[in-house]
Amino acid sequence: MKFYARRITFYLVTLWATISLNFLLPRLMPGDPADIMIAKLQRNGEISATTIRNIQLMLGSSDDDSSLWDQYVAYWGRLLQGDLGVSVTKYPAPVSELIANALPWTIGLVGLATIISFVLGVGLGAIAGWRRGTWVDHLVPSTTVLQSIPYFWLALILVSIFAVNLRWFPIIGGYDVFEFPAGPDPSWAFVASVIEHGTLPALTIVLSSVGGWLFGMRNMMVSTLSEDYIVTAEAKGLRPRRILGAYAARNAAIPSIAGFSITLGTVVAGSIVMEQVFTYPGVGKLMFQAVQNNDYALMQGVFLVITITVLAANFIMDLVYGTIDPRARQHA
Amino acid sequence: MIRTKRRAAIAAAAGAAALALAFTGCAPSDSGESGGGDALRVWAGSQTPLTVTFNPYAPNVLHAALGPIYETLFSFNKTADEEPTGLLAESYEFNEDGTQLTVALKDGVTWNDGEDFAADDVVFSFEYEANDYANQVGLVSAEATDETTVVLTFSTPQFTNEFKLLGNTWMIPEHVWSEVDDFTTFLDEEPVATGPYVVEATTEASYTVVANEQFREEGKPAVKTVQYVALDANQSAQDLLAAGELDWAGMFVPNPDDVTSNGIISTINTPQDPTVLYTCANVDLGCAGEQTDVAVRQALNVAIDRGTIKDKAFVGLTGDISPAFTLMPRDEKWLADPANEVSPQTSDAAAAGQILESAGYVKGADGFYGKDGATIELDLISVDGWTDYNDAAKLIGEQAAEAGIKVNVGTVQWQEFSDARQTGQFELIVGGVIGTSVADPYQIYKDWFSGTSTVAVGSELQPGTWNFSRYSNPVVDEAVAAAAATNDDAAKREAYATIQTEIVRDLPYIPLVINATQTFFNSKDFTGWPTEDDLYVFPPAWGSSSAGVVLANLEPAE
Repeated sequence: MKFYARRITFYLVTLWATISLNFLLPRLMPGDPADIMIAKLQRNGEISATTIRNIQLMLGSSDDDSSLWDQYVAYWGRLLQGDLGVSVTKYPAPVSELIANALPWTIGLVGLATIISFVLGVGLGAIAGWRRGTWVDHLVPSTTVLQSIPYFWLALILVSIFAVNLRWFPIIGGYDVFEFPAGPDPSWAFVASVIEHGTLPALTIVLSSVGGWLFGMRNMMVSTLSEDYIVTAEAKGLRPRRILGAYAARNAAIPSIAGFSITLGTVVAGSIVMEQVFTYPGVGKLMFQAVQNNDYALMQGVFLVITITVLAANFIMDLVYGTIDPRARQHA
Repeated sequence: MIRTKRRAAIAAAAGAAALALAFTGCAPSDSGESGGGDALRVWAGSQTPLTVTFNPYAPNVLHAALGPIYETLFSFNKTADEEPTGLLAESYEFNEDGTQLTVALKDGVTWNDGEDFAADDVVFSFEYEANDYANQVGLVSAEATDETTVVLTFSTPQFTNEFKLLGNTWMIPEHVWSEVDDFTTFLDEEPVATGPYVVEATTEASYTVVANEQFREEGKPAVKTVQYVALDANQSAQDLLAAGELDWAGMFVPNPDDVTSNGIISTINTPQDPTVLYTCANVDLGCAGEQTDVAVRQALNVAIDRGTIKDKAFVGLTGDISPAFTLMPRDEKWLADPANEVSPQTSDAAAAGQILESAGYVKGADGFYGKDGATIELDLISVDGWTDYNDAAKLIGEQAAEAGIKVNVGTVQWQEFSDARQTGQFELIVGGVIGTSVADPYQIYKDWFSGTSTVAVGSELQPGTWNFSRYSNPVVDEAVAAAAATNDDAAKREAYATIQTEIVRDLPYIPLVINATQTFFNSKDFTGWPTEDDLYVFPPAWGSSSAGVVLANLEPAE
């Protein structure tokens, strides 16, 4: 029990620290959202002094007279009520609403793609390690090459080939915006549209991340296969399949699983580049726009959701580890 | 036990694999269908997720709100020197000294909710607090003298504010807006307006407007449905255009042929906004660096090879700039000296050297000019990621070096750029000047060159003034004031001649090029677009009031 109490306290302190940092960081950034918006409008030609005045009226000036401490207390007060403030870029949309609308898309697509990539990578990695020295080994360089290609470039190439030239996949969006101008509706046609639109983005994520899992798993597999208990298992005359599955792969996968839990935690951060390339709705884009426009409330909201999920994923992993591996409990 | 567990695991794995298949393989592909249909699809520059606001006073107002939905009294064609076209009004007239503006309204116009559009609505719109015209332009009173006449009275001459008052004041219905408590938070999701379109549906990814059945012109608009989609990247818009899925977009595409080669999309380029080198020019207001010496600016001006910059940095799509900041040929009648029609397009290192030597500079052993042992060394910055500007800056650095002027080229983040120009703490910046909305360079002379539009280095400029160079010249100021007070072309030309002589010599902004403004449109399925031959209005989809005029004018092709 002492182990769990210690872990929980540790995470509570970490949570407090991240939320406080989250409060502080944007305030250390220079700049004024109103300035940025005005300068952006200016690039499209003449803007009147009236517009400028209205922007300043709406967005306010960034100097707040109350002390940092008062702001900090007020920040916690609002946070506990679930109020994350109002976005400046998307004025006057509440940040919580923006994030709530973006999260399902991100978790659905990036989450699924991450799981597929993990299952595929670890599975193929196990086989590659088992059959090391055969043609299967070519999987390693070919997937790692895909991973080392800059993601945006890979994505643009795939869009250009499969969406623009071959017309196999749609070019943009989370669903067909031309077919469903009124937005999502609960029909099978819409679900089909979502799946169709998610395929290419998911493919790019899987292609660009599967190499890492495969490479790690294969190498763990190779070192696990030289362990004494594998030799024992072989000496006992067990079927090779059983040795591969129950003895080798199972042990070799432990580090990958730890890595996977952390990756899952960061899924909510979305995939900024993917969302830009495919105009896919999601959290990554919100973060990108918030930083671009000095939108503090939105930035804080997104960072908060990300940090909390990462912490939660770590916490759950800690507990799971404590259960499966008693050593972790002893030395924690 | 072990056996059943394993079976479950296999089943799970199979499930995952099936899911993977569903997501990675064999999805049907019918995305390329129907460029036709009825809806016209537009990208006006919005990004996802869209925030629904049709409030014309909101900074992030959706593009369809201005023009296609809300209208101004007149439409100004900023591509040509011509009289404005009446939208809600027939005609207008200034009194002798420009302090009174009488507008005659069209008869029989209704709001899209069926109520009559009345002179009182116009009065309400001009007096509406969000416009702040009492402070902005000195509006003393707005009065409806009869059903279709409105008289606006001002404390100062308003000849130069013609566009702002008639072409950029949105007409709002009194019966709706008088009940709006706070215009800053009003979303106006179902706008009541007079324009050719009304809102049909809005989502985070797109919004749709349909024809306003009450629109004053019979049979218009002929295109019944217009869908505005939000896109996050120019590349997506380009791909959609090439695939025939997007019908209208205004954006920069370096190789327009890639988009137009499908035989559906046509393109038009209407350069409007100058790109210049801002120089912090005025020592008296606190500028520092060698660029404060007019000889250095003049030498730089002739050392720059604009032809190369145009071809290499702007892929040949920009227009040639006039050092008098008159947009040629639109503003031709305001150009006093034909010699100032266009800035030199090739570099002349010898001339640059001569200018510097006669100002007392000597070439050092390292090949760079300097004075009293101190070499000229200028820092030139541009915003990181604006690749055309970054490339132009690099070229300028090389060209200056050839003429013996040392220019250190670097890039900065947005915020740094914004702070630098606002506070005047810079030497050289590649930046933009806002082109004027009417065929008259006045707004540039007043906002960018006059001493009343600037403040000392260290303080931020007032909103609506753009004199980043801190240039302040009493001769210019006097001429700007004289031009504002008259509606007589000859008197105005005289004032402009004075201004042009001063700024062409002093070069507080060293002219580079006129930015390209490209518009892509589907000329196969729709007709009536502005073209080179009939440029009846500024063509981009983000063009505010002019976008409404374009839409009302379109017709589906037979």
